[in-house]
Amino acid sequence: MIMTPLEIKGAVAGVITSVFILVATFTAGGIYRNHIESETEPGNKPLDAATLAAKGRTFFFQSCAHCHGQDADGGEDAPSLLKLQISGTHMALVIQSGIKDEMPSFAKKYNEQDTAAIVAYLKTLH
Amino acid sequence: MIPWDKLHGAMTHFPIALLMFSTACDFVSVAFKKLSFARGLRLVSFYGLAFAALASLGAVVSGIALTKGDMWGRGDFGWHHRFVWPAFGLLVALAVWRLVVRDAMSRTGLCLYLVLMLLASGFVAAAGYFGGELLLSGGGVP
Repeated sequence: MIMTPLEIKGAVAGVITSVFILVATFTAGGIYRNHIESETEPGNKPLDAATLAAKGRTFFFQSCAHCHGQDADGGEDAPSLLKLQISGTHMALVIQSGIKDEMPSFAKKYNEQDTAAIVAYLKTLH
Repeated sequence: MIPWDKLHGAMTHFPIALLMFSTACDFVSVAFKKLSFARGLRLVSFYGLAFAALASLGAVVSGIALTKGDMWGRGDFGWHHRFVWPAFGLLVALAVWRLVVRDAMSRTGLCLYLVLMLLASGFVAAAGYFGGELLLSGGGVP
């Protein structure tokens, strides 16, 4: 016998539980993401991409340009932000968390909407 | 406000460590199955796997909260997820299987289980590696 009936029963239970948990996780994640996106702006009216990027550009010149350069092409101690190969979520995490000993956290200065605006601007630099 | 980045950083280490420890205990118990402590090792590996599966739920929930529901992504972030989801699914499936079967494993079942435990450990290690890369590039715990 290749596998005992108990092992087969266990395998079926394991696969069903695993698939159920993964589907539930992705469904919950999708619902949460939609919820977050619907709350990005007051009144549930998200800014259009151009307006958001323009707002982000203002923040960029206030807080980022002096290290990353006016054209975001890098400074003496900071890398270029042109053509970043990371996701928007990752960019937001970097802005919010900072990089230890390299870049400060901007979580207190910029809220999630402001950070989203900066990310929108950085994406226009691709 | 809940510091999801710090919580995720803390919680991910439990399933990583427990799964690898459980896998190691299983292999040692097979290699020294004639020794008296082999049975004890199998018990330790069982509880290690069970707690790894439970802890992985916390790691996944804190990760989803941290990324605001972004379940995939690009670059290191994408690679982190490409390994995390198979690892999570495999870990849960193996824990349930072990819970049902306990020590009543056939030779084939044991071999298959050990191979899948190694695979899950590899996935978890790779997910941890890319999670660490995210950390080094500033995407995680500062």
